[in-house]
Amino acid sequence: MFISLGVLVFVEPNLILSTMIEQSKNVVKLCIDLLAIYAVWLGILEIVDQSGLGDKLSKLLSPIIKSLFKIDDKQQIKYVSYNLSCNLLGLGNAATPSGITAVKYMEKDLKKTKFAMLLLLVINSTGIQLLPTTVIGLLTSAGSKTASKIIIPTIISSVVATIICVSLLFVYKKIKKI
Amino acid sequence: MSVFIIPILLILLIIYGVYKKINVYSAFCQGAKKSFDLIKGIFPYIVAIMICIALFRISGLGMLLVKLLSPLFCLLGIPVEVCELVLLKPFTGSGSISLLQDIIAKYGADSYISYCACTIMGSSETVFYVSSVYFAGSKQKIAPAIIISLLGGVISSVLGCFICRFI
Repeated sequence: MFISLGVLVFVEPNLILSTMIEQSKNVVKLCIDLLAIYAVWLGILEIVDQSGLGDKLSKLLSPIIKSLFKIDDKQQIKYVSYNLSCNLLGLGNAATPSGITAVKYMEKDLKKTKFAMLLLLVINSTGIQLLPTTVIGLLTSAGSKTASKIIIPTIISSVVATIICVSLLFVYKKIKKI
Repeated sequence: MSVFIIPILLILLIIYGVYKKINVYSAFCQGAKKSFDLIKGIFPYIVAIMICIALFRISGLGMLLVKLLSPLFCLLGIPVEVCELVLLKPFTGSGSISLLQDIIAKYGADSYISYCACTIMGSSETVFYVSSVYFAGSKQKIAPAIIISLLGGVISSVLGCFICRFI
């Protein structure tokens, strides 16, 4: 940020403030969209939660989550399992609110959950997606007849990248001993 | 087929909720209410990150980085035409979508270049955005995770472009 500002003062000083405000406006628009999306998903999630389905799901996934994330708090496991299942279903927008909630619960116990938080971020930002719908839509609207061809390379490359990244994080954990 | 999966799951969920004798309507409202707090919490952090990214781009430093790293990516087998996309994707979702549209328009929807670009787009995430949303206000140091995720983006891009040669 500092370096870019320094360069800009010399190149185009009149652009700085207008860009900052323009960007902030974009984020306001984005947040209104997100508000709507999260409201729907958090509503659905609450039904899952209150009906007891959430506990069943987290019980089902907790052996995997316990051994990978090394956490044993019930709430943490529950929201991590929501996050992972939404990710696998390709519901990125539903995964985000549960991920944020999981991080909030982990914050309360920062010493124990250091590694779990890093792992959650890595899994969410390598982006496993079973059906790349947006991209296929773009290709089809541009006149492609074989847009579905990209599904297989997308899945393979994102799954492999996620596996590599998670292993890298485990190596990092060994070295740093967190 | 996939169009039906989510609605069917929702119907099943509501039936299950009624069967468990919970008030589905009020449960939904309670959940939806949390949305405001969530957005309130993450808003300032997204603004800050997005301003940083925009300044980085318009200052020309972004293009400089692309020029510096492109030869390296070419060595790894990523076509030179999509190098910019690989570098842009971690920063901005909307920006990389418009770049993707340009690439598709320029090289044709069914070309190797477009397939590569789409694979890159689909298999990587907007790392900086995701990390700013997830860790809004967190004291946790997340630099190692960001570096590993960025590396993951490059790995999936290289792999995606490689597989695209065979389809």
